[in-house]
Amino acid sequence: MKFSKLLLVSAIALLAAPLAQAAASGKDVYSKTCALCHATGVAGSPKFGNADDWGPRIARGVSNLYTSALKGTAKGMPAKGGNLTLADGEVKAAVDYMVGAAKGSDAKAPAKAEEAAKAAPVAEKKADAKPAAASNPAAEAKAAASAAAAAPEATGDVNSFNRLLKPANKRNPPPPEDGIHDPTNDGTHALLPPQAAFGSLPKSNAGNRVNWVEALNTDKIHPRYDRNDPKAEPIVMDLNIVREVKGSMPDVVYPHKQHTQWLDCSNCHPAIFIPQKGANSISMAAILLGEKCGVCHGKVAFPVSECRFCHSKKKDTSRPAAATPTAAKQ
Amino acid sequence: MKIKNRIGRLGSLVTLCLAVICAALFAEIPDAHAEYGDIVINNYSDAAGMRPVIFPHWFHRIRFRCKVCHADIGFKFQAGGNEINMVKIIDGQFCGACHNGDIAWSPENCNLCHSAKPGTKTQVHESTIQKLAQPSGVPAKK
Repeated sequence: MKFSKLLLVSAIALLAAPLAQAAASGKDVYSKTCALCHATGVAGSPKFGNADDWGPRIARGVSNLYTSALKGTAKGMPAKGGNLTLADGEVKAAVDYMVGAAKGSDAKAPAKAEEAAKAAPVAEKKADAKPAAASNPAAEAKAAASAAAAAPEATGDVNSFNRLLKPANKRNPPPPEDGIHDPTNDGTHALLPPQAAFGSLPKSNAGNRVNWVEALNTDKIHPRYDRNDPKAEPIVMDLNIVREVKGSMPDVVYPHKQHTQWLDCSNCHPAIFIPQKGANSISMAAILLGEKCGVCHGKVAFPVSECRFCHSKKKDTSRPAAATPTAAKQ
Repeated sequence: MKIKNRIGRLGSLVTLCLAVICAALFAEIPDAHAEYGDIVINNYSDAAGMRPVIFPHWFHRIRFRCKVCHADIGFKFQAGGNEINMVKIIDGQFCGACHNGDIAWSPENCNLCHSAKPGTKTQVHESTIQKLAQPSGVPAKK
């Protein structure tokens, strides 16, 4: 027991120091992330060290500034300055640093802020460290494994409703927050946020959450059919192909019309589909793997979750069901 | 006792380092939720020290029908399958058929296309295959 206590204490004592350094100071966070905009005052953001810019904001309370920095603002401040890998404490430390600089109390305030920032993460991480620094080396290994396993879940509530679904507030995020664009790239911030474009377009439940076919047919969008000639009209072919499918799913109706509005015949024929009835074997497995319809559907065109868009023709089940009993009677 | 203590300390240090590294790794895995159909192209970019390219399908389909790029200009239906490079673009092929300063802005705006986080793999973002292979919420295997 004593031994384990000793271990625990020594572990914490040992670990506290490096961890304090691991948490980036307000100044570091500022220079790496915030400075991109706040050094020069991009897009009306308060300029570093400018008391006129910061004064009114500080007057409204530093906690408001924390919220703006953490969650972003409508004026264009991205959440955590676009660097979502920052801990809340680090962001707050950076705010403290900038507030300190604006107040002009150049040396003391930032120093205090840094101390506060260091203290906060250490306190958090100490709590985390305890289970990991368990009483004996064998248990430690286990604890390490469980800590590692628990790490990804720690970011959200494991028992939350629809854990694996994308929450509504994460749909159509602006490029700097979408996870694949680099927020430190200046060009990223010049790109059009999808929601700005999608606002007026008809909605759908999947993909971009835009019903593109309806958007086209209701003249909400006017995509060119020829790159040079804005007046070129598509050659639309209105021919439905019905494919009977196995099982209980409704038969598939393939409309040439909606496809030829967007595409050229050569896009599908003959490489993907042989233009001959019965010559193409299509399965959902192939589509899920990105073949046949899956060349576009599930990548760009509406995704495969929208079963009923294709499986739209109700099977005529009355005939075989009615035929069997009468046949039996006669 | 001292030695044991030391081993213990060392063990806990290593453990914690591991835990921190793991946490950092997982935290870094962007729960990426960019637009459906965003194409990341990283055939040559990373190796050339440029950010990979992100092609937003949604933006382009508001302005052009699929046919313009996929039939007239000749883009294959395959992410990373077109072997696009800057020489071809400047010579008016692929992106350069429109991004020529005439129909659309010209290719000297490097960072508008080369805008992905370094190291992002070639992918069709949010595609069925990507979702099947890696459901959202589960960290990717590195």
